[in-house]
Amino acid sequence: MLLDPGVIFGQLLGGLSRAMILFLLSSGLSLTFGVMNILNFAHATLWLLGGYITFSIFSYFGEFLGENGWVLVLAIVLGTSIMVGVGYLIERFLIRRMYGRELPEQLLLTFALILIIGDLIKLVWGVEDRSIFLPIEPLEMLDTYVNPYYFVIVATGTAVAAGLWWFLQKTRYGMIVRAAVYSRDMVSALGIRIPLIYAGVFALGIGIAAFAAGVFLPLMPMALGVDIDLIIQCFAVVVIGGFGSILGTFVASVIVGVVYSFSILIWPDGALAVVFLIVIAVLIWRPWGLFGTELRY
Amino acid sequence: MVLLVVGFPLVPALPGMFWTEVATEILILGLFAMSFNLIYGYMGQISFGHAAFFGLGAYGTAILFRELSGGTGAITMGQFFVALSVGPPVAALGALVVGFFCVRLTGIYFAILTLAFGELLFYVVFSWYTFTGGDDGIQRLLPPPFFRDATAYYYLTLVIVFGAAAVMWRITRSPFGYVLRNMRENQLRTRFLGIDVRRYMLVNFVIAGAFAGMAGALWGPFTRSVGPLLLGWQESGIAVFMTLIGGAGYFAGPAIGSIIYTFLQAYVTGFTVYWPLTIGTVILLIVLFSPGGLLAVFDAKVGFRLGRTPIAPGETPNGEAETGAAVTAETKAGS
Repeated sequence: MLLDPGVIFGQLLGGLSRAMILFLLSSGLSLTFGVMNILNFAHATLWLLGGYITFSIFSYFGEFLGENGWVLVLAIVLGTSIMVGVGYLIERFLIRRMYGRELPEQLLLTFALILIIGDLIKLVWGVEDRSIFLPIEPLEMLDTYVNPYYFVIVATGTAVAAGLWWFLQKTRYGMIVRAAVYSRDMVSALGIRIPLIYAGVFALGIGIAAFAAGVFLPLMPMALGVDIDLIIQCFAVVVIGGFGSILGTFVASVIVGVVYSFSILIWPDGALAVVFLIVIAVLIWRPWGLFGTELRY
Repeated sequence: MVLLVVGFPLVPALPGMFWTEVATEILILGLFAMSFNLIYGYMGQISFGHAAFFGLGAYGTAILFRELSGGTGAITMGQFFVALSVGPPVAALGALVVGFFCVRLTGIYFAILTLAFGELLFYVVFSWYTFTGGDDGIQRLLPPPFFRDATAYYYLTLVIVFGAAAVMWRITRSPFGYVLRNMRENQLRTRFLGIDVRRYMLVNFVIAGAFAGMAGALWGPFTRSVGPLLLGWQESGIAVFMTLIGGAGYFAGPAIGSIIYTFLQAYVTGFTVYWPLTIGTVILLIVLFSPGGLLAVFDAKVGFRLGRTPIAPGETPNGEAETGAAVTAETKAGS
């Protein structure tokens, strides 16, 4: 049964779409850490908040426009914009005070944000799971039925990855960000306002996360506690891929997503444990990650 | 410190069992947090998987407990102490294996690797039904009749925790303790002194693990059960919170933090389910406005010694600690 092509195909597709969400979150996490040296524990919690907000916008407009794909697109655009604003405010009023402070204190601040935002979500949306339902016909492939929405997700994730790569490699602002990863002082000396870059990168990361939450809403219910599972896997991805490397993050997301998806068939409770084994192996063998550079860390 | 030593034995005199049980929890979690601070405050590395050793100690004791009592819940005094004493070595063994890998790394990588090992152990305990009871945990850990009384168990905990704290105090004042501080300030320079940094880190990791295991061993019979969540990251977070609330720069910091955290939790959960929101806000405020923890605030603002012992000898209450922070900030900005 395990070697059935239908099962393998289904798991592969599930694993790849899982990889996409991991990538969309980890890229923001990795970028924030690369540029600002802040590891944002609350990244996935902000993703969750984005998901809940998008859900509410979707239900609000869904009432008189009908709950269809276009309304979801509208909700994703609005939800992402709101979260970009939230991200900016968090950077401006909280994270900014932490630059130059010791690592544990920075971790603790974002850890506190997990608790606060998680509880605020509970306060506003209650404890029920929130998901949206889109009427999608399942597709028959390789003697099995798959949700065609998986393809939408994999395509969207890959497109964002390509877009991010293009932004970082080819645009002026991308170059500034990369330069800031390399040497903040030099960039600052060239007359570029570093605080603005920081706020921008942080808001961008949160925006991508909120976008991911919206795109995944029809597939994955927003529920309390999911953020913790996800952030731990994102750490795994970032460590495996190497901090600050978009390519590494993408490859590592695919590895973690697919490995997770297949090990869940064999050891359902311990699928995450398998991921941690990979993390441990990478940290011991190449602490700077598969695609990171040894020199900088 | 004097206040603590005098105050704690008097707690059972308060009316009602409630405060005695809260105080027992304060002591056990305080020991756990103090063991964490051996790694964080003294050695300068942050571990997000310290609860793994708390949990290993708890499970070591609980499993032996279960085997000795044969599932009946009846256990003799001798067996009870044997079960308790097995917690620290089990945790130390776990810390030796985990530490062997972790001490190769520092900073953020140390933090993530300890987290990864902690979660790995959590999943092993969580799914190993035949041995650990899986997600059901192990129940019916009834101590012998004499210690079923909350007051008696409290005094047992008190003696063990104060004894353990005294040993830790001695360790931190030994040449070994000074090497730890040295590593916190500058690992490279410590290596130049001919000190095998990794070995010292590993030894300290094992010591901290053993004390966490001692705390864990006391936890099982106290709550009458153990569960896999004792190894989880949330439990590790508790040690981190307590230490930062009280002040990582002080030997008594985590203990003070434990008092505040546990009291606050016992009080706040009495009227609201939004405990995470409360503790999150408290931590946010502490991180933003009094990064050294509450003891540092007392040092700076009130200026009197409140059971406080700065970790580095000859350190002025606020002067040198602040200079240290400033230097770190400069190096970071420069890197």
